[in-house]
Amino acid sequence: MIDLVVESLDLNALIAQIDLNAVLARVDLNEVVDRMDLNEVVAHIDLDEVVARVDMNKLLARVDINQIVSRIDVETLVKNTDLGAIMVSSSSTLATEAVDQGRSHAVSMDDTLARWVSRIRRNHTGRAEPPELPNTPEEP
Amino acid sequence: MTAPADADAGLPEPVPSRVGVSRPAPLGDSLQPYLPLSTEETENLRGQHAGFASRFIAFIVDCVVSIGVFMLVLGAASFAASVLTGSSIHWSRANTWVVVAFFAWEFLYYAYFWTASGKTPGMVLLGVQVVGQDGSSVGTKRGLLRTLAFPLSFLLLGLGFLGILLGRDRRALHDVIADTAVVYCWDAREARLRSLAREGSSRQP
Repeated sequence: MIDLVVESLDLNALIAQIDLNAVLARVDLNEVVDRMDLNEVVAHIDLDEVVARVDMNKLLARVDINQIVSRIDVETLVKNTDLGAIMVSSSSTLATEAVDQGRSHAVSMDDTLARWVSRIRRNHTGRAEPPELPNTPEEP
Repeated sequence: MTAPADADAGLPEPVPSRVGVSRPAPLGDSLQPYLPLSTEETENLRGQHAGFASRFIAFIVDCVVSIGVFMLVLGAASFAASVLTGSSIHWSRANTWVVVAFFAWEFLYYAYFWTASGKTPGMVLLGVQVVGQDGSSVGTKRGLLRTLAFPLSFLLLGLGFLGILLGRDRRALHDVIADTAVVYCWDAREARLRSLAREGSSRQP
């Protein structure tokens, strides 16, 4: 009897009449997701195969490396990682430390003097454009 | 620092203040890097006109080095004379030859370093360098001219140095005469990173 009823039904026509949006609106997707065991779902996925399908060159071509690098706080990185220790052991000596300190204090004094002079003269004319240094080797 | 008057006069737009005022470390905060320059300040230091303090300290170092070497040479000559002839030579400031030799030595000292690399030992220590006003290397002609004009800045009661304090491009009289400028040439950014690295490595177990 049931078979006869099912056979007589046009399921395609019936489904076409259903407003799926309205049905989905009534579904609590959060509850559905909560019931899912995502670990089990992930366990079924062959990640190697997924990764193998990815065209890394194409992917990297779309990545703006410069933008990523510019977002890195180099100072924090150096301060908080082993990178700092490597830098210290490779480039820094007590003499370097003293020279760095002396130079930076001298620059601060330069600026302080310039500010005093500027205040005395009450003239904030600023500084001239620095000269271009095309072939000047950089001091360490 | 902006200068509308200068802009109106058609002069090049002045660059912003090169470095800010040193920010004192908060009391009890031992994690502050010792370098008084901040990140922004260290970014564009290289190539900027050097200030009075850096140049003056470099000059003092050069005085110590050049006079020290001169005295060592005199001492060595005196010692050699006493060994060879048995009679020691007593050098005096009143001796004309000593005075002439001193000025000749000072001329050679500055002329050699400025023409060769634009940096005397004192300037190397302070990270400043003499360059042409256009940023090119000093060269023999400008280096010699600068060395010859250098005493003029002293002879005018030190007024020749006022340009370093008051001028827009911090040039002394001898810089103007020789068409040169003195700029910072040390990598302040790298120095700041070294400072932070030392601080970080000292904190890690």
